[in-house]
Order: sequence, then structure tokens, then C-alpha cells
Amino acid sequence: MKTSIRMIGIATTFLWIFLISFFISAVYSVKDLHFNMSEPQMGVNQNNEVYFSLPITITNNGFYSIGSFMISTKILDENGFQIAENSTVVPVIRKGENTTAFHTVMVNISDLLQNSQVNYLVNDSEFLVKAAIGMSIAQIIPVQVATNLTVPWGAPFYNLTFGTPQYSDFNTTHCITTIPISFENHAFFDLNGTIQIKMYNDSDLLVGSGETTFEVPQHSPYNGIVEFYVSTTDLTETGYLEVYFLTPLLDYGPLVVSYG
Amino acid sequence: MVEKNGKPESIPRQLVFRALKATLKGIFFYFLYFILWTMFLAPLALIVPNLQGIAETFLAVYILLMVIGEFTHGTIFQYFFDAAKALFIIGYLLLSLKGGIVSLTYQEIILTVDLRLFLMFATLLSLLGLSKSVLQAINYLTQKTEHATI
Repeated sequence: MKTSIRMIGIATTFLWIFLISFFISAVYSVKDLHFNMSEPQMGVNQNNEVYFSLPITITNNGFYSIGSFMISTKILDENGFQIAENSTVVPVIRKGENTTAFHTVMVNISDLLQNSQVNYLVNDSEFLVKAAIGMSIAQIIPVQVATNLTVPWGAPFYNLTFGTPQYSDFNTTHCITTIPISFENHAFFDLNGTIQIKMYNDSDLLVGSGETTFEVPQHSPYNGIVEFYVSTTDLTETGYLEVYFLTPLLDYGPLVVSYG
Repeated sequence: MVEKNGKPESIPRQLVFRALKATLKGIFFYFLYFILWTMFLAPLALIVPNLQGIAETFLAVYILLMVIGEFTHGTIFQYFFDAAKALFIIGYLLLSLKGGIVSLTYQEIILTVDLRLFLMFATLLSLLGLSKSVLQAINYLTQKTEHATI
């Protein structure tokens, strides 16, 4: 019995030494893990989605391989509406290796403007970004670092204002209507595209329509007009405008604005 | 009086010898902790709040149980304290590691470490230590009974 007890003692001691040295070396090797984030890339893909791509280079100079390296991002608006979500996974980063992962998040601006409860076309806001980086140290000890960030959203058509329609005679049946438009582009991208306006009288009858093109760099104001012919017989003092915004990044409409 | 190599050993001499052994063991363990702390664990203390407190409380209780175990050497109580040491390791690890999922918050950053696998191995090894103490106690009692019978 004494031999068995002695063997248990020796085995226990060795296993304790192995467990503690493995744990300490695994934790200690994290300091030799380096992350290098390059300049984020931004653009528009074929589906008219805005993408943000962040290249991350991971250099593992530690004692062990890193398993299940994962970056995840979730973007939510103030009401909890999910705008975008994506995860990037690198199954294994072997010791002494460099790995570059591209973490890409795509945002469909049109969907965001159409589906959310807040009109982000004309209202500045803040988005919540839930970001997390996870990995398995030595492919055994899972570790996760998570953070919540708030990023500002700048409305592309901030303070969108339609002036009072001005009418000038053209002939006996039609007149030229001029509607002043102004806004500020608070968005992080330049805006260029078309604003289409359909004018309806108080009997919901289309009395005329017109459009104008615009090109507004980010953080710049815009002041312009839309001119179109309307039938004088159908024109009433009150009615409403249906406004459509068509740009390469976003299609939005109709935005209904009453006049008179 | 205790017989040792045919010569009787006085109780004060025995106590002095045990105290010396316990002191040396205690110093060795503290020295081991000191090396581990300064070389590996000190940088972690910047991230983990109260890590030094947790480690030192553990060390203090462990050394205390070890010293008492050393003083009670040659009696059944030695094995009681060995078993207590193994149970203390299990309990302390379970409590200090909060069941294996450790979460730390620093400003807006939340760090979560899943130590369940480590905890499982540590618990199993402590249980092995506990079983060793129980076996030693059984062995001690068996030998004592045999001596009494002879």
C-alpha cells in the first residue's frame, strides 16, 4: 500500500507542476501576441452596400498556437434595431506565424433608411457598435475581450427644408413651379444623385413632377431648386409633395411633405 | 520519549526538529511564490484587481495547514490536515475563479476568461491528493492496529 500511496503522491506532484507551468506559460505567451490594425478601407460593393474593411495582422510569437480567433461586430441603432452584423474567424494561428484577416462589415443604407423607426435621412443620431475579439490561448483557454462603442451618424439630408412653391405663368394651361430645397450633408460620404418631386393637389391628383441633380461633398450645405410645369386647372392652394432621393448609395422615397 | 534508530528521542528535540522542518518548508513555499509572482504574475496584477490579495490569502492558509500538518507528523491528525489542504484548494479555486468563468471590466472593456478546463484539472488533482490522504490515514491505522496486535 505504501508504494501505491507514494506513486499517487509522485504522480500528483508531477501533474501539478505540469498544470501550473502550462497555465503560466500559456498566459505569459499572450504578451508575445501582436495585433496590427491597418488603415480601414471603405467603399460601395455591387449590391450598393457600404462596406468597412479592417485588415488585422496577427503575429503569434508565443509558445503555443492560438485557436478560434474571432472578431465580431454588431451595429445597432438607438432603438435596438440591428443595422449590421458580421464575424471573422481564423481557425488556427500557429506559433511563429503571421496571419492577416479582413474584418468586413456591410451596411445597406437604403434598408437602414426604409426599415428603421427613426428617419436617419434627415436626423443625426448615434449608433451602438458591439465589438468583440475572442481566441483560445494554446487552443484550450478561451478568452474574449468585448466593448461597446458609440459612433455618431450624420444624416445625409440633415435639416431638409422645402420652401414655399413659387408659381410663374408659362401659358394659359400651365405654369412653372419652383420649389427651393436646402439641406446639409452630415454623412461620412459625398452625396450625388437626383431628387424627384411629384406634386399632388388636395384631391390626390398628380399636377406635375420634376427633378434636379445634386452633388454635395460631406459636411457641406446644399441650396437648390426644382422647377417643373404644373397644370393650372388642377392646381390647388394646398396639397402635398412626394419626394424621392436616388443616389448610388441609397434610394429613398416617397417622403411626403405638405404645402400651402 | 520516541525511539529512533534504537535511541530514544526527547519530545522537546522532536518539536524543535519539526518546527525547523515546518519553517524551512514555509520559507521554501513562500520563496517559490515570490519567484512566480515577480516573474510571471506581477504584470497580471495590473489587469486583475486584488490578485495579490487572493494569492497571498491562499498561500497563508496553505502554509498554515502545511505547518500544522508538519507539527502533527506521525499522528492521525497529519492526514486530517493533508485532506483539509486538498479540500481547501478545491474550495478556494472554485470560489476565487467563480466557477471557472472569470470576467473583468476595465472602463468600457470586458475581459472574459473561460478557465473551466483548468479548474476541472485542478479539482481532479486535488481530489487525487485527498484520496492519497485518505489512503495514508487508512494505512496508518492499519499499521497501528498491527503493532497493537503483535
